[in-house]
Amino acid sequence: MDTQKITFSFVSPDGDRQDVTASPGETVMQVAYQHGIEGIAAECGGSMSCGTCHVVLDAAAFERLDAPTEGEIEMLDLVSSARQPTSRLSCQVKVSEGLAGASVHIPESQF
Amino acid sequence: MQTEIDAHNIPVGCPMHDAGARFRPFVHEGMYDLFAELRATVPIFYSPEIDYWVVTRREDVIAVLRDHERFSAVNATQPVTPWPPEMLQFLVDQGFTNESVQVACDPPRHTRVRSHVQGFLNPKRLQSYEAQVRDLVRGYVAAMQGKESVDLVDALTYELPARTAFLLLGVKDVDPRRVKAWTELRVKLMHGHPSREEQMAAADELLDFWRFSCDLFEQRKRAPQDDYPSFLLASRGGDDSKLTENEIKSLTFALLLAAHETTSNASANLLLELLRRPTDWQALVDDPTLIPNAVEEGLRYVSSVVAWRRQAKESVEVGGTALPAGTKFLLSLASAGRDEATFENGETFDIRRKNARAHVAFGNGIHFCMGAPIARMQMRMMLEELTAAFPAMTLMREQPIDIAGVLTFRGPTRLPVRLNG
Repeated sequence: MDTQKITFSFVSPDGDRQDVTASPGETVMQVAYQHGIEGIAAECGGSMSCGTCHVVLDAAAFERLDAPTEGEIEMLDLVSSARQPTSRLSCQVKVSEGLAGASVHIPESQF
Repeated sequence: MQTEIDAHNIPVGCPMHDAGARFRPFVHEGMYDLFAELRATVPIFYSPEIDYWVVTRREDVIAVLRDHERFSAVNATQPVTPWPPEMLQFLVDQGFTNESVQVACDPPRHTRVRSHVQGFLNPKRLQSYEAQVRDLVRGYVAAMQGKESVDLVDALTYELPARTAFLLLGVKDVDPRRVKAWTELRVKLMHGHPSREEQMAAADELLDFWRFSCDLFEQRKRAPQDDYPSFLLASRGGDDSKLTENEIKSLTFALLLAAHETTSNASANLLLELLRRPTDWQALVDDPTLIPNAVEEGLRYVSSVVAWRRQAKESVEVGGTALPAGTKFLLSLASAGRDEATFENGETFDIRRKNARAHVAFGNGIHFCMGAPIARMQMRMMLEELTAAFPAMTLMREQPIDIAGVLTFRGPTRLPVRLNG
């Protein structure tokens, strides 16, 4: 049902913004795949094993969402583009109400 | 759930039976053509020669790789041709204590070990080798200058990845060809079909390779350096519950193979496809920014890892076929890489292909290749340096190209080229 859908935006390194609408429970990585968003490689398919689905959330959205797990925090130490205070692995961020209106920034490189 | 199929009772005349009879697991000639034909109608078939079920479609290959709960990796590097009991006993007696710690083990052990390994084999740390790898590539390319023709395997792709592996391991003053020879032997013992005599004769060499790995470990234990075994020793912190010493020896032994074997083959596969298509080579000469995608297309079109193995932990359904616990699967990464369901005109090599990177050459799921960043780096740099140094390079088409093949790996044994056209 449309009323349950959540809308948020991907922002490319150049600043281009693309709004997407997704269902709760999907991961941000899956949503990026479905919408052909460039710059989120996610090569391991969402197993928290490759560190190539790094995104940076806007601070307010980061605060609204559940905190990353210890495993995700460790992996974030190893991503290619510089880690930011609000960095997340998009395979670990589930679409929820907290993500409504969020800006999901894609880093320069995943490799 | 459907009724499970009995592998030994597939009716003659059934497409699945026909596929199993035609598939020759250790022969690479014609493999891509056969899979192109099978993918359309036969998503899975039984290969009696190896007692494995072969999976042909990308979607099914990825589904199995991602499902580590139901599909175990324990058979990933098991000898396809079992080792004779006398050989196993000899190895045990001589202190060969290599364990399956990473590529061929399951959670929770895999998770525990990977958490240590990841501290070293990760995109950021591997990037830090960029300047050193560039120097290595330039050294090999410089050594070709002044020659009319070379074999690119002999002159570059065979040794270079081993030298890069040595950087990670802190190995100095060792002939890379010594490690390459050991590696080839080990690959044949795991994924090939050696005779019993060959297996017995190889045992001593295998032991030497293991001891080389153990010596490296002992040296780093005495005097830590800035390298992989030293990092793992520090990460273990003397605590066996975190990581044992034998696990580190085994991880070092694993990297001494995994860090270069597939990159050597992948580089040679890529160069061969590019040189077979002079307009593609010229395109990279004219516009080097095309190189990273050409690397991905090479990995897609001819993966150096043509197949990988899994085993069902419970009753499963793969490609619409119900199979019992214990079933062994050979996932054709070669076939998956050309699957038209994902790759339009999948049988066409296209260096500008938009979704080339959707290949599965580095696997998928929790066992995704940790060395992928440095493998790509080397392939990219080889192309950058070769196209810059020898823009008119051509393949010597009159000379035969042999593909050395085992069950899982593929690469040309030689690549004769004229450096200046």
